[in-house]
Amino acid sequence: MENIYDDVKEFLDKGETVAVATIVSTKGSTPREVGAKMVVTAWGEILGTIGGGCGEADVRREAIEVVRTRKPRTVRVDLLDEISSDSPAVCGGIMNVFIDPWWKDEDGHEKGA
Amino acid sequence: MDALVEELIKVKSEGAGAVLITVVESDGVDGLDSGAKCLVRDGRIVLGSVGDPALEQRIVREAAERLAEERSQLLSLETDSGGQADVFFEVMPSPPKLIVVGAGHIAVPLVRMAKLMDYHVVVIDDRILFANRERFPEADEVVVGDMAETVKSLDITPTTYVVLITRGHKYDEPCLRELLDQPARYIGMIGSKRRIKACFERFKEEEHVSEELISRVYAPIGLDIATETPEEIALGILGEIIKVRRGGKAQSLSRK
Repeated sequence: MENIYDDVKEFLDKGETVAVATIVSTKGSTPREVGAKMVVTAWGEILGTIGGGCGEADVRREAIEVVRTRKPRTVRVDLLDEISSDSPAVCGGIMNVFIDPWWKDEDGHEKGA
Repeated sequence: MDALVEELIKVKSEGAGAVLITVVESDGVDGLDSGAKCLVRDGRIVLGSVGDPALEQRIVREAAERLAEERSQLLSLETDSGGQADVFFEVMPSPPKLIVVGAGHIAVPLVRMAKLMDYHVVVIDDRILFANRERFPEADEVVVGDMAETVKSLDITPTTYVVLITRGHKYDEPCLRELLDQPARYIGMIGSKRRIKACFERFKEEEHVSEELISRVYAPIGLDIATETPEEIALGILGEIIKVRRGGKAQSLSRK
């Protein structure tokens, strides 16, 4: 399986800040398991997946903010109200996603760590 | 602190087990911010810090449990000073090892599916016509040799899963004998109910193998999903392995 930290390292080495979004808890049926993660860049590029659909789009939007502010936050993704929508990712559950900024400061040390 | 990412990459490439701990939220804990991290490996914190030594002790203990269960989890931990921290334990288990004994027609789809699921796969047969790279391009190891001897020589741990699907009971049984007192997480053996019953009776009478050891063996192998083709049988076997690993409830043929 791919190691997502290989991607993180690549971005950090280029001097970029990325956001790592991780599903830390779930309730009910969700598209991915606790521990699933994705990396979001300053430009909104996504590596990995936390399940796709509207929930992932919300997290991506928040993640771009996290990259900008370099402040972590937790986002609650509610998949309950999508039942009547046409979204293919309707699962009916709730998931909490922790979004954490990672970057390297001038002396080569990683921040957020 | 430096090089957490490098260490995470190293953990993965070495196939080591580790747990990355991240503070998601903290309340009333001095100097502990959301995003603080540490990495636990070999029963201790090797990188990073969350400050409070008592909290770190608790974290190391919890990390060991989460790693054993192979389950990432968010826990709310209280500190001695009355503070509280929501801490996420991200488990990075070493990849499970699947040993496939017998390189016949079920082994081919079984190895492919197991590689898809990130198992370290070892295939064993005493016939080079079957145990070879052309037949198993994805396998991590392909071993040609006496099957029971090879099984005996392997390092079998609580994250090892063993599937006995040789061309006959004459070959499965000596392998099983080598495995019974090993700490494998899963041992499955192919065969009809009747033959397996006879095999277990012989083990008990002739070798005084305990009922307890024998009851560990999943035989007949696989889940009860009415499989017919080799591919379906392979799926039933892998399904049973996942059930054992993750603690599922699907019915095994052996427990029917």
